Amino acid sequence: MATVTPEISIAENPLPERAAAAKRAYPGALVVVEGIDGSGKSTQLHLLKRWLEIGGYRIHFTEWNSSPLVKSATRRGKQRRLLTPTTFSMLHAADFADRCERQILPLLHGGYLVLADRYVYTAFARDAARGCSPHWLRNLYSFAPVPDITFYFRAPLDVAVNRIVAGRPKLKYYEAGMDLGISLDRAESFRIFQEKILNHYDQMVDTDHFVLMDGTVRVNKLQKLMRQLLVERVDLKQFAPKKK
Amino acid sequence: MTPPRSHSDAGAGSNGRPSKRSKAGKNGSANGSSRFYGMPLPGVRTEDLSGSLIVVEGTDGSGRSTQISLLTEWLEGEGFAVETMGLRRSFLVGEDIDALLAENAVTRTTLALMYSTDFFDQLERRILPALRSGLIVLADRYIFTLIARAAVRGIGRDYLHGIYDIALRPDLTFWLNVRPEVAFDREFNKSQTISYWESGRDMSLSNDLFQSFIRYQSMIKREFEYLSKRHGFIELDGEANVSKVNGVLRKRIASQLGIRSTTYKPSHALAHLWR
Repeated sequence: MATVTPEISIAENPLPERAAAAKRAYPGALVVVEGIDGSGKSTQLHLLKRWLEIGGYRIHFTEWNSSPLVKSATRRGKQRRLLTPTTFSMLHAADFADRCERQILPLLHGGYLVLADRYVYTAFARDAARGCSPHWLRNLYSFAPVPDITFYFRAPLDVAVNRIVAGRPKLKYYEAGMDLGISLDRAESFRIFQEKILNHYDQMVDTDHFVLMDGTVRVNKLQKLMRQLLVERVDLKQFAPKKK
Repeated sequence: MTPPRSHSDAGAGSNGRPSKRSKAGKNGSANGSSRFYGMPLPGVRTEDLSGSLIVVEGTDGSGRSTQISLLTEWLEGEGFAVETMGLRRSFLVGEDIDALLAENAVTRTTLALMYSTDFFDQLERRILPALRSGLIVLADRYIFTLIARAAVRGIGRDYLHGIYDIALRPDLTFWLNVRPEVAFDREFNKSQTISYWESGRDMSLSNDLFQSFIRYQSMIKREFEYLSKRHGFIELDGEANVSKVNGVLRKRIASQLGIRSTTYKPSHALAHLWR
């Protein structure tokens, strides 16, 4: 097992910042997982979801996938490699806006605990790595509600990259950041692109109050911690099944 | 956001009066970033944009498309190569927006962002290359219609200006201003009905189509009045004769491009537009 870098140890997590949550205009809560590919975030959120489902909580799971409305455009843009850093970013923002306005916001107003596999921080890190201005990106996504808790899963670059490269026959063009012209070798391009993304993520830990999760910790141990942190930060009683 | 600057670095001052300075003077004074409102598009080199971007704005029924057709013919007759752009004309998402509009399921932010994707796809893959090749780009509407439409639907103006901060600043922006009542008459005569989106029916302004159209277009017009001040539009009376409006447009463009003579008679193919 790889060693834990000191600055990402879980014990040193900053205390919860509830300023954003205090401003909320809805009864629901938003729980987000973020991190580069292969950091273990989806696995952990899946386990968290299982646990909440078994408990009968009022939850909804949403992921960073194309909404049906925008899907054909995204597919065309990627297949034909038409996307520039700007249009790549805008199209994903349109996609996210659709999910936000038609799914996430109504659910939050309806009092759901919303679990999101990737959120706006994915765009902040990935699109900034492509050369978009961070300031411009923040404005672009400013319609998105601020999460109640953002778990940031961090694994060393090699660990994460190996997990992805080992399990995938071929990396896709944009996924590997081939549009940046870093390297003609897809695996090499992917690695450098992920490293850039990782750096942008790391810069948001303080500014966006990420809860750092060490992606190299054993799965069940990390899940236990995640559940514990959730209970501390989010009042789960609000989402508990109603007694008759 | 950067504060609004004078409309063009080239021929016209912010007062909108033509200037004697020619195209050559413009290229001398334009530095890379001044061609953008704020920060330039990522990865785009701007130093060699030798063409000109000329925008014609105005609602449906303002005579905008008619004027674009006539100007294209005139400019080509003068020996200038012309490229055009407009809403929903991108290869990337143009047709997808048509589909979204037909469905009515789309929400305001999504639609606004699909339109901006459409805009930037045209700008980056068609318009910037054209300007680099020295073409004259005639834009049948630009970011201003997109900003106005989203703003009347409650999306923040600062948010919208933030998105279009990386857009290219036009050399000239004309606004064909018409009263909503006149736009209604013209649109109705053209298509015997009024479109869902042009009457702002998604905003639940009125169940009466005429009332809805007038109220919506009045809101758009107010946004344009604000944008006109902020971005230094050249406002023209869109209710005047086609030939008269065209004369004013040609005069301004001629002075911008250094064209001496502005006489023009449309070809047989376009003669029916000449009223």
